[in-house]
Amino acid sequence: MSLLTNRLGAAVAKLAAPSVVARAHCDLPCGVYDPEQARIEAESCYKIIEKYAANEDAAYRTRAIAIKEERAELVKHHLDVLWHDYFKPEHVGTVPNLHDLFWQATKQASKVKASTDLADAKKLLDLIDDVAAAWKATGGPEKTRVVRQTA
Amino acid sequence: MFERLRGPWRVGVAEASMRPAIEPGDWLLIDPTVRRWPRPGSIVVIREPESDILAIKRVHTRPGGVVPDIQVTEPSTSEEVTVTVRLGPDEAWLVGDDPAVSIDSRRYGPVSVDRLVARAWFRYGPLGRIGRLR
Repeated sequence: MSLLTNRLGAAVAKLAAPSVVARAHCDLPCGVYDPEQARIEAESCYKIIEKYAANEDAAYRTRAIAIKEERAELVKHHLDVLWHDYFKPEHVGTVPNLHDLFWQATKQASKVKASTDLADAKKLLDLIDDVAAAWKATGGPEKTRVVRQTA
Repeated sequence: MFERLRGPWRVGVAEASMRPAIEPGDWLLIDPTVRRWPRPGSIVVIREPESDILAIKRVHTRPGGVVPDIQVTEPSTSEEVTVTVRLGPDEAWLVGDDPAVSIDSRRYGPVSVDRLVARAWFRYGPLGRIGRLR
């Protein structure tokens, strides 16, 4: 009996449930953004590739590759957050190549994930520096960071 | 003309910007035949500007109205300035009930009536909260 009522209940719920979702769209951003976060992870990739090249030990090399892939993924994440959450449509006026820059930088992060070529990691650092310049040009340091205590 | 009869007639709600009136997970009946912005205080489903997602918000000010004290960033100087917005003949100003977290007209500006999808009027689930929306 309970099996039947359960099934009946589930069938009714399935019929009644709306198939369309409307979002009471919200976000609660902390408002803190800094390309330095992406750069530190990209620097990790750079250093790991250096250490990988200097070490013949198979176990060490395997670990190095795994950690580099993890860090490169974090680079992509931090770049994505800057792209969708910090940058606004009006910033394209100040930085006309904004979207292309992010596309190139995130693609380069993917490349570094798979590569052991130091030049690839260097190019990623350069692209992140370009992102940092865009962040500065749009007032990022003043708008998004909490002022540090001065000694 | 009859295109709007195809609905949607029901929506489920995700996210929390309409709390406490509407909770995430609520099931609502909506009227997709509306062609004009309903009166202020009404809850509407729209195709959100910029993202095109289906969103639910409350009408704050109707077409032709004036919305004072809007904070915007001046694109040329990046300065925060306060402006008064005068709505066009097809435009409404929409705001979420929980302004601290809501993405609404304060982010994307006035919303044109061609983005109006439906008016939400009744909650039919969950069971304990069935009733007319207010």
